[in-house]
Amino acid sequence: MRGKFLAAGIFIALGVVAQGFWTPADAKVSLEKCTICHGKPEFRKILVDGKIRDLFATEDSLKGSVHEKKTCVDCHFDVSEIPHRQRPKRVTCTHCHYKGNAEGAPQSDAYLEYFGSVHGKAIAKGNTKAPLCQDCHGSHAIFKVKDPGSHVSRLSVAETCGRCHIEIYAQYKTSIHGVALARGITEAPACTGCHGEHKIYDHKDPKSSVYATHVAEQCSTCHASVLIMSKFGIEAEQVATYQNSFHGVASGFGSRTVANCASCHGIHDIRPPEDPLSMVNPKNVPTTCGKCHPGANPNFALGKMHVDSHSKESGIIYYTALFFKYLTIGTMLALIAHIFLDMYGRTRRLRGE
Amino acid sequence: MSEESRSPVTVERMSFLFRVQHMLLMVSLLVLAVTGFALMYHENWLAAAVIRFEGGVMFRGIIHRSAAVFLMAQLVYHAFYMLFSREGKRELKEVWLTRRDFDDFLQAMRFNLGMGNEYPRFGRYGYKEKFQYWGATTGVFLISVTGFILWAENFSMRFLPKFVLDLTLIIHGYQGLLIFVVLLFWHLYIVHLHPSVFPMNPAWLTGKVDVEWLKEEHPAEYEKLKGEGVI
Repeated sequence: MRGKFLAAGIFIALGVVAQGFWTPADAKVSLEKCTICHGKPEFRKILVDGKIRDLFATEDSLKGSVHEKKTCVDCHFDVSEIPHRQRPKRVTCTHCHYKGNAEGAPQSDAYLEYFGSVHGKAIAKGNTKAPLCQDCHGSHAIFKVKDPGSHVSRLSVAETCGRCHIEIYAQYKTSIHGVALARGITEAPACTGCHGEHKIYDHKDPKSSVYATHVAEQCSTCHASVLIMSKFGIEAEQVATYQNSFHGVASGFGSRTVANCASCHGIHDIRPPEDPLSMVNPKNVPTTCGKCHPGANPNFALGKMHVDSHSKESGIIYYTALFFKYLTIGTMLALIAHIFLDMYGRTRRLRGE
Repeated sequence: MSEESRSPVTVERMSFLFRVQHMLLMVSLLVLAVTGFALMYHENWLAAAVIRFEGGVMFRGIIHRSAAVFLMAQLVYHAFYMLFSREGKRELKEVWLTRRDFDDFLQAMRFNLGMGNEYPRFGRYGYKEKFQYWGATTGVFLISVTGFILWAENFSMRFLPKFVLDLTLIIHGYQGLLIFVVLLFWHLYIVHLHPSVFPMNPAWLTGKVDVEWLKEEHPAEYEKLKGEGVI
């Protein structure tokens, strides 16, 4: 018995070693074959519409990327003869990227979320402009998210999204979040900070993190955090004061027409209130409120917007609330006192008679 | 025959029309309280459940405002009735606040504290009933004003700055609470817990009260009725 196990062990060990020896050799062959053509810098194709498709790819193309150890046909597996007669199909990442894969890709099914997303659904409907994995993550130069060179890193993801969403990118770039992120303030959100990564849905889809009734919650992930907000001198109570306002309560109970954060502050073009272009700049408040409140005038800007009647900074509102609180308590006590006094008096009255 | 002589002799204290008004007032105030406090304390689970039960914030608002319109209509009707009907004029005269009510209150307090020897002899309505009546009426009138400002927010803000509306909202809520507290505690006392009527003064249902009770609690009225030969 023992001998058999030993033999099996040696056999397996040999197999592993052999694989270790043979695979790179195989890869080398393949890569060399590919680079006969693709290694020439001028190797490109002029498409029907006049665009140029650069087809240059060498050994260095994958260098430093997460697929450094992969070779051409690992992804372009539909290339079986060289030179290939047909244009190879677009790479299907899910060939390796699924939970339980044996290729060494991360064991995660997070990619599946893409198929339900607005992009994945558009692809399924045949929209050729919708992005596949490689459109955002890059084709050869794929790096880990934390790597600054990655197309989807915190600092570059907006630019990546902006390749298609050009106007929104321009708005974002000059917004408070875009400017902050460009300055290297990594707390500021890029596109994915609010919209999610793979599970990006249309904002009219109730699953979306930026659906009308989810906006406040989404903003509050950062704006309700004293830890983050105190760094920039922004009040973290804004979320709570919104939630306690008419707008917030209605939104909390599912109203989709009531104002959420973005209705007043803007969506991609959020700017600080001091900015004359900001929707919440006192000068622009009548226009902003006027979207829902017909005939809004400068009166709408007179007074604090995010009012907390429990905070002293609210001035007259705080003191009025305080006055009424004690008036109510006082009335209650006076009434109770009167009840007991009168009952006591009545017993005296009855005894006296 | 002693049993028969002790059987309660009653006298009308609330006419049918007043009982109907009282009933409608009670219903609309309760609806307003439930819908209003649900919004005021929306963070509370019970309030949240109430809002959901009422069909969400939009329907809560519609119910609240409908009840409010109904209540204000009652107030207007009541004002006209009190000012122009024969019964109303008579009742208004009885319930009108006079200097005597203040003196009665002080005298009652002195007596209750053991500093006086005579308890005031109330007429048809003592200071307790009058406080309730005028407190509720004034409260309903004032809360209607703030309610209207909030209801017509776009119109109000043509004239009023934003912080005044914030203030109005706070005041409206506390006015409601105050009215609720006064009605609750005062009713609890004068028509429920007061030993002479415990567990309940039946006047709001039957319209009638015991003559003996009248003699004890409203002696001036008792004597007046006796003088008129009603009793």
